[in-house]
Amino acid sequence: MKYHLITLGCQMNLSDSERVSSVLESMGYERTENEEEASLLGMLACSVRQKPIDKVYNKIAQWNKWKNKRNVVTFVSGCILPADKEKFLKSFDLIFQMSELAQLPEMIREYGVVTPAGLRNPQPVMPKNEHIAEMWHIKPKYQSTYEAFVPIQNGCDKFCTFCAVPYTRGREVSRPSGEIIDEVRHLVNQGYKSITLLGQNVNSYGLDKNGEEINFAELLRQIGEYGKTSGEEFWVYFTSPHPQDMNREVIEVIASYDCLAKQIHLPMQSGDERVLIKMNRRHSMDKYRHIVADIRELIPQATLFTDIIVGFSSEGESEFQNTVAAMNEFRFNMAYIAMYSPRPGAASYRWENEVATDDKKDRLHRLSEVLKGHSRAYNETLVGKTMRVLVNGTDRKTGFSTGLTEGKLIVRLDRQDNSLMGQIVDVKITSAADFSMSGELQEVFSLSNQ
Amino acid sequence: MNLIRHEIKIDESFYKVEEVRQLTNETFSLKLPKARFAFKAGQHISLGIHGDYQSREYSIYSGADDENLEVLVKEVQNGYFTPKLRKLKAGDLVEIHGPFGKFGMEPKDAETGKFVFIASGTGIAPFRSMVRTYPEIDYTLIHGVRHSEEAYDRIEYATDRYILCSSRDKKGTYHGRLTGYLKGCTFSPETHFYLCGNSDMIFDALEILKDKGFERDQIHCEVYF
Repeated sequence: MKYHLITLGCQMNLSDSERVSSVLESMGYERTENEEEASLLGMLACSVRQKPIDKVYNKIAQWNKWKNKRNVVTFVSGCILPADKEKFLKSFDLIFQMSELAQLPEMIREYGVVTPAGLRNPQPVMPKNEHIAEMWHIKPKYQSTYEAFVPIQNGCDKFCTFCAVPYTRGREVSRPSGEIIDEVRHLVNQGYKSITLLGQNVNSYGLDKNGEEINFAELLRQIGEYGKTSGEEFWVYFTSPHPQDMNREVIEVIASYDCLAKQIHLPMQSGDERVLIKMNRRHSMDKYRHIVADIRELIPQATLFTDIIVGFSSEGESEFQNTVAAMNEFRFNMAYIAMYSPRPGAASYRWENEVATDDKKDRLHRLSEVLKGHSRAYNETLVGKTMRVLVNGTDRKTGFSTGLTEGKLIVRLDRQDNSLMGQIVDVKITSAADFSMSGELQEVFSLSNQ
Repeated sequence: MNLIRHEIKIDESFYKVEEVRQLTNETFSLKLPKARFAFKAGQHISLGIHGDYQSREYSIYSGADDENLEVLVKEVQNGYFTPKLRKLKAGDLVEIHGPFGKFGMEPKDAETGKFVFIASGTGIAPFRSMVRTYPEIDYTLIHGVRHSEEAYDRIEYATDRYILCSSRDKKGTYHGRLTGYLKGCTFSPETHFYLCGNSDMIFDALEILKDKGFERDQIHCEVYF
């Protein structure tokens, strides 16, 4: 019995897929990357963007044609808008929320009778997360031996007008801190070097528990304390924080512990106050500025990443220039810049999209050029320095590997040796490019081998 | 023979409409049973209609201890959702999720602070909730509307605390936009401002208050879409 699983969308879906694999393999299924030999075909979909949803429709049309020739069972889960869910019920054999993952074996066994999603009447518009804890109890089948994602929270209560996540994942629910710390501890014991705490708004962690759970700063502190006693070198990241709930205490904790990576991803989305209001971001540029000032003061070595949307509804040239000014002010190491596209389910989908595509492309290009300048300038300051680098791949250039610094800056190193994969090594930076650096391998260093 | 008794689960997200209370030709309050969740005045909910796959967010219009949960809705002509809401009848099912958001003050601050509420149109909803929840609150409510008939449930506010700015007729306290009224106001330095309504009004009011020397953390915004 083989299964084939396609994962679309963000790291949350990737993390969820590791738990889906775990459940299927506990039933005796074996994973295959060749969908033609699988009898169970599944997808973790993403309604948040249009492109992945188009992929789902194309793929299920193909899979359903195969049913004329052989027995296959199809399923879908992930981030799904109610409207898409309605359509998927007609196309897929099984559809479930991640909170129902523990029941997947039963659903597969009972396939053809009824699915839990189909049973619910009336069917809620917004996904319900009461049982998400059951999903977190499932041990994931990690896809990497050195890099792992640990969900700490599911859902979003923020209702940014450009985003559909509150309608696909439901409201914010925090995972018990004890489970999170246990999973981190387990991963470190297994030799994992890069661990990312995942959630839609990680720094809202615990706030949904009305004082019965620790907050995000305390969660980081407890992980930091474990890191101090573990004797292992590893880096803990988190994504994504929302500026509304980010505070100095979180930054102080990151500054205090070696294992808490000195890289902060702080989505800005726009540098213009009016656009931020229209995006319903619920933070001002002053608030964002204070957070960055705290980061620069307490963790001067930290790299700063962000997300930006250009061409959001009502963004004119002067509003865009405020974003350019903010880019110049904060000098991000990396910015994931996206052209605004209306997403079904999000509030802004109902508005007229006022910015022409050519203008969006032009702003994307101009902002990327600004980013490039800051990234390169920063990278050049590292030339001649020796950096700790986690080797994570083989470079296209023969004889070279790729890796990431603790600050998630890309480094190409002059050695291609499979035994280095997943190791943190010393690399002397020899040259800098726009978004990467090159360096020479210095030595392989592992505390656990000392 | 095994007899299996299936547990009947009642989904607590569903509420039966008690009344659609018409306030103007276009605006109405959807009156539901008492909320099954605790909320703070100023928070919002996600509202869906049974059998429909869309939902919208609405600020809660009722007080935290009121016998009914209410939301204030203005029908959008040719819109998808609000015309359906308006057609709801007593006994119809709606789905509520929430509460969400942080717009609003802590109860202890409500007792001691000085507040100015600035609303356009149905943006008055969270302020009615605050006034009903904290009857002793020291507030001034500046409400911007086109026509004075949009002074929803005006009778509930003390006349010396409610300023109606109507731009299309002269029946309000002030004839013109609320931003025009705001420019001529003076406020004590410790005042906290709560703004709710469309994004243009909020941005303009924000600028006026900043020009008057108020810090951004004294100004709290909730945008309506």
